[in-house]
Amino acid sequence: MSPNMLEIAQSDVPAARRTVLEVKELKTYYKTRLKEKVHAVDGVSFALEEGKTLGIAGESGCGKSTLALSLMGFYFPPLYYSSGSIMIGGIDIMQLSKEQLRKRILGREIAYIPQAAMNALNPTLKILHFIEDIMKEHRPELTKSQVREMAAERFRTLHLSPDVLNAYPNELSGGMKQRTVIAISTILNPNVLVADEPTSALDVTSQKAVIKLLKELIGKKFIKSLIFITHELPLLYHVADDIMVMYAGEIVERGTARQMIFDPYHPYTKRLMGSIIVPEEGMKAHKLAAIPGAPPNLKMAIDGCRFADRCTYAADACRHGKIDNRTAGERVYRCIFGPGTLKEWYASEER
Amino acid sequence: MNAYTKYFVKKSGWYLATLLVALVLNFLLPRLIEGNPVSTIASQVSQGMTDSDSIKKVYENFMKEFGIDKPLIVQFGIYLKHLFMGDLGTSFGLYPRKVSDILASAVPWTVGLQLPAILVGWILGNVLGAVAAYRKGLFDKVLFPAALFINSIPFFTLAIMMLYLFGITLKWFPISGGYDFQMAPHFSLEFIGSVIRHHTLPFLSIVLVTIGGQAIGMREMSIYELNADYVLYSKLLGIRDSRVARYVFKNAMLPQITGLALSLGTMVGGSLICEIVFSYPGIGTWLFTAIRQLDYPLISGCTLLIALTVLLANFTIEMIYGIVDPRIKAAQMEEN
Repeated sequence: MSPNMLEIAQSDVPAARRTVLEVKELKTYYKTRLKEKVHAVDGVSFALEEGKTLGIAGESGCGKSTLALSLMGFYFPPLYYSSGSIMIGGIDIMQLSKEQLRKRILGREIAYIPQAAMNALNPTLKILHFIEDIMKEHRPELTKSQVREMAAERFRTLHLSPDVLNAYPNELSGGMKQRTVIAISTILNPNVLVADEPTSALDVTSQKAVIKLLKELIGKKFIKSLIFITHELPLLYHVADDIMVMYAGEIVERGTARQMIFDPYHPYTKRLMGSIIVPEEGMKAHKLAAIPGAPPNLKMAIDGCRFADRCTYAADACRHGKIDNRTAGERVYRCIFGPGTLKEWYASEER
Repeated sequence: MNAYTKYFVKKSGWYLATLLVALVLNFLLPRLIEGNPVSTIASQVSQGMTDSDSIKKVYENFMKEFGIDKPLIVQFGIYLKHLFMGDLGTSFGLYPRKVSDILASAVPWTVGLQLPAILVGWILGNVLGAVAAYRKGLFDKVLFPAALFINSIPFFTLAIMMLYLFGITLKWFPISGGYDFQMAPHFSLEFIGSVIRHHTLPFLSIVLVTIGGQAIGMREMSIYELNADYVLYSKLLGIRDSRVARYVFKNAMLPQITGLALSLGTMVGGSLICEIVFSYPGIGTWLFTAIRQLDYPLISGCTLLIALTVLLANFTIEMIYGIVDPRIKAAQMEEN
């Protein structure tokens, strides 16, 4: 990342604190063809405050994308809802009917940017016509010309050419398509925007443009808060205020971006940071280390800490019973060891 | 000249070139078949004659009359000259009937049989395929294997089985012809009824195969489109299911439209087997008869008609497709 991206990150001063999204003990699972349940999101709880960007990181298959989809309250086979609540604007969206959810929540309160934004747009529909279709659902009182005016205005504000509106998706470049998808997703000023790997398929220049756009959306209050999901931890340092690390369907640690990157507590976060290729200051001294082993099979109930089998510090106590969250200041992490013990281990490792 | 006009002109050029090649082949291929049409005809005419000189004279007369005593290249020149004047020549087998008259009498039968059958089969097949993909469950579990089964039976087998079952065993429908033999074509309820009764069995056989093929294609396309990312994205923006379904089926329909245009193009040629099995008086039956009699002008006439319809259908699809699908339009522009 370049230094000016850091500036964007730091110039963004969060406003008054108010919770816009609160998730409690959310459990969702996939049903396989053999009727087995894969618990991809297994008891996730967190709250998101207004003006904040929350980063969610983790390796492939940890449940990040499933969590993103689950947050929308919209479930379709093979993904199923098991239990838990998702509160947006004082409403538990899991209590709504499908039709109420569609009319009141989707696109209005919470919006989504899919992982492969390249294919997120219908290839035979012009951008404007797609926006018209969205407005027919949520703002039926607007005329076509009002919608056109509104969309053009929003595109101009976000430094996108209004000409894009008359284009078909295939006429746009990858980066442009991604920014267009972001502009479309936020056109109704949703409280929460869930972005699932929005930059993963892009080159560095386009990545920068996308991140700038996301920052701008918060800055201009078009969205109240952002959930940014990625496997690139260092990217989150520039984007997120807080970072959550997910492992095997659970949140293992949450803290501020700075804390999580430079001073991780949970052994998994520590290992994750150690396995990243980043030519960045303060981080270049470390050797690249892969995490041995593989994540546990989520089809079965897991006793004890889910990371125990891959953790070098695992003790017998780690392998039995429920591992509770520990709170240390703003930090929450799921491990039986205290910060002091962990830090000592990490320090001795580096010697 | 804008890019699309340029594309249009360029494509037209290619299609004209293709037509020229087709013309040469139409002329040449029948004449490469072993045998001499005149010897059969001459032997029929000269039955009872004993004088070998007069037999030879009859033979030579016919050779001259049909113009096949000249070298091939000269014959081709004459053929082209007549063609440009709209004359397809005179049939050998049905001498002295004009080829264009024979074709004109046959085309309504072929088109009348194929066009409604293909359209009905195409519409039903696409609706069934789309519903199977959308509803899944039992409907899909029954329809899909059934469509596969019907589609896997060779058409002539299916046609013969239907003919045997409904025509010969159950005697529900007549087994051959376009109308009852004792009738002359005229406008009366009785005649129309007869035409419809003769029409039903070949019509149903074509509808059945068309449904099978179309339903399989539409089902696959719809399943592919239903799983496309834009479906999820649109739904997560609160767009109602029925509108998303419209996106899906419009996109799934595009290749199916090509299929329809192509089958309409091959309609005239594709009717061969059906018309032979049901002895239906269309182009296919005439082409079959012409080949057996080595009736060069009639063969060339039939194949020319087939080539023309196929080319025209393809050309129309390419032109229309560019307007309907922006991705293809972009690809067309790049070609220039």
